[in-house]
Amino acid sequence: MEFRPILSAMLRNKTGVFLVGLQIALTLAVVANAVFIIMQRVEKIDRPPGIDSDNLIFVQSYGFGPGYDHRATVREDLELLRAMPGVVAATSINALPMSGGGRQSNYGVVPDPDKAQTVVNTYDVDEAGAAALGVKLAAGRAFTQQEVQYNPEPNNSDFVPSVIMTRDVARDLFGDEPALGKTIYDGLGQSAVVVGVIENMLGAWVSFDKPSHVMLLPRVANGPTVRYAVRTEPGRRDALISEIEKKLSESNLHRAITWVRPHTYYVQRSYRADSRMVAFLGVIVALMVSVTALGIVGLASFHVNVRTKQIGTRRAVGARKIDIIRYFMIENWLLTTAGVAAGSVLAFAFGFWLSAEYSLPRLQPVYVVAGVVALWILGQLAVFVPARRAAAIPPATATRTV
Amino acid sequence: MFAYHLRLALKSLRRTPVVAALMIGAIALGVGVCITTLTVYRLMSGNPIEHRNDVLYTVTLDSWDPAQPWDDRQPELPPYELTYTDAKALLESNIPARQVVMRKAAVVVEGDPAAHVKPLLAEARTTTKDFFAMFDVPFRYGSGWDRAADDGAQHVVVLSDETNEKIFGGEDSVGRTVRLNDGEYKVVGVLKKWEPTPKVYDLNNGAFNAIEDIFIPFSIGIAEQLPLAGNSNCWGNEVTNSFEDFLNSNCVWLQYWVELADRGQVEAYQSFIDNYVREQKQLGRFQRPLNNHLRHPDEWLKINRVVANDNRVLVGLSFMFLAVCLLNMIGLLLAKFLGAAPLVGLRRALGATRGIIFRQHLVEVGVIGVGGGLLGIGLAALGLLGVRSLYENYDQLTRIDLTMGLIALAIAIASGVLAGLYPTWRVCRVQPAASLKTQ
Repeated sequence: MEFRPILSAMLRNKTGVFLVGLQIALTLAVVANAVFIIMQRVEKIDRPPGIDSDNLIFVQSYGFGPGYDHRATVREDLELLRAMPGVVAATSINALPMSGGGRQSNYGVVPDPDKAQTVVNTYDVDEAGAAALGVKLAAGRAFTQQEVQYNPEPNNSDFVPSVIMTRDVARDLFGDEPALGKTIYDGLGQSAVVVGVIENMLGAWVSFDKPSHVMLLPRVANGPTVRYAVRTEPGRRDALISEIEKKLSESNLHRAITWVRPHTYYVQRSYRADSRMVAFLGVIVALMVSVTALGIVGLASFHVNVRTKQIGTRRAVGARKIDIIRYFMIENWLLTTAGVAAGSVLAFAFGFWLSAEYSLPRLQPVYVVAGVVALWILGQLAVFVPARRAAAIPPATATRTV
Repeated sequence: MFAYHLRLALKSLRRTPVVAALMIGAIALGVGVCITTLTVYRLMSGNPIEHRNDVLYTVTLDSWDPAQPWDDRQPELPPYELTYTDAKALLESNIPARQVVMRKAAVVVEGDPAAHVKPLLAEARTTTKDFFAMFDVPFRYGSGWDRAADDGAQHVVVLSDETNEKIFGGEDSVGRTVRLNDGEYKVVGVLKKWEPTPKVYDLNNGAFNAIEDIFIPFSIGIAEQLPLAGNSNCWGNEVTNSFEDFLNSNCVWLQYWVELADRGQVEAYQSFIDNYVREQKQLGRFQRPLNNHLRHPDEWLKINRVVANDNRVLVGLSFMFLAVCLLNMIGLLLAKFLGAAPLVGLRRALGATRGIIFRQHLVEVGVIGVGGGLLGIGLAALGLLGVRSLYENYDQLTRIDLTMGLIALAIAIASGVLAGLYPTWRVCRVQPAASLKTQ
């Protein structure tokens, strides 16, 4: 196939070709970057939470008035929760994983707070903590009842004898050595022994750069607020939510049950900004691709119309239908290639600007390559309809309009 | 003449309905997407206290850890909140015309067991009295409290419109009592519906959340040791087991605002806080370099990056999408106008000047612009309905007001005309003889 006649025919409509080429270039620049951002967010949302998120319920109780006894309330509530059919395990807990709120402190391997320490998001749980959250123990054991500290007691206020940490914390503190049985120190120089290592668990802040720096401490925080994590059998969660709310509200009049919610509520809320971005960008990408496809169809249709006579002539002197279709396909391929060549430069420039201005990761070339291939295919598909119409022009047309 | 142009324009559009629909659709889509993202952006970047921006200042002092800055990414910033020790000391100054120290707390509003009304946990703002005047808070009934209430930790409460609706069915409840955390509180005021967006007086505890349910004197929160419901950030290694420990700690958790009338007051107050910090340095606190700031609300909004980067990226991408839509429209217009070139040649031959042809086509693209703009506003309204389902508590973010509607129309017409200029210019250069010959 000769490229030269196709090129010179295209150049007769420079403006139209230039406009669609520019459209293709802009589309590539936007789509490559947008899809890159979408993939990052989707990956972030799909990270495993490390806990049994789908079967977890969280409850908050808030005590008030002189009649409120925090310690007794926690004990009775947990007895009540653990006795409910469908409940696998329940623990008191100070904060909710992946909710955006929590506590973090620094811990090190020597009692000197000026030496290297690592920041860890900590959760106070009781002996049922690991079972209730549904974390997987990679080594060691869960807490025992004797280890659980109750905060307001004067002599052991902030102290815990043991901790359970994620693999990521263990790696940060001890490198490749096993963490089990080793001692860690908090900022006050108080020590605790590592009794368990869990595979993974995401902490309070989903956008934090160390999301899995999490540690469980055997402790019941002081009141008047207390939260519970309740793990249910699969399929029982929704029915248990209202039942728990009712039973706990009736059991104690010196407190308010402020909410009983599935963990997924907090997960969705925390990822809302990311899922919002995915939705927004998805819509923009879809619209942009459709508008550009329409532009290609429009340009090709225009070319078919103005070239009716030439096409008729070619058919009259022996060109087959397939030759006509191929002509338009090649024309489109040339146009798209020029467009994506300019578009690749634009895409990298735009990606560079985005990463510099908003400290996002730099655009990976694979997204531009994928975009180029997609636009080639899109162009060929879009041009096919008008090309088939062109091929249907009867050779007689050539003679009739002279 | 305009009516004539308009009639011809409509006729011309009707002649090629598919192309006309495509062009109007392209503009509408472009404008719709832009207006959707712009509306969200504009409301996020708004300053609800614009009219008092010149006299209000938030106070920040660098009381943070000598070993590391408050924010690694912006090491020049002091913490955004104050310690209790410092806030108490600043309250002693009588330079500001008004000043407020405040924080969020959790309070139980007791129900009525006899009537099966369950207790509910309310969000309270514990604040000194000037809050209401400084932030121009609108009252439906009654007013805020006075100095005596602050000084004596009197049991007074101001209810939000919504809370008053919940507890008293919306009637004038001034003078009645509510039971909070086992104590009797006298209602002194009820607010009108108030939705400062963003919540400029406390940007770090949910900048787009609704206002608090109830407002009580700051001193009560201290006297009754109400648990904190907002952020607190601590450094160093202090034991903070009791509320008393917490009050005396290095933790920052209080918002502080002052009202200063003129340059002189600002200078006097700045030197007051600087002197205070110098004194504290003598006592071994404030070991970081002197870094105290008074900031206007608009500056504060910018520093706290209320508009997420995501929103800026989206606005940028929307305008690139609009550009693609316009390129598309230029292509279609060009094809359409040049397709009708013989007609233009005929009109020119019959005596129409270039000017008339030019205006004729400009009216036509204007019609496309207006049509696309109106449809675009419709699409943006739909888009914002979709956006509303993606946000929580953000109802006020998703309304198209008159300004936004006008901006939409202006973008549509401007882009329509801009896109139409080149094709119009091309069609005006049609040589009557050349196009007549081919007939």
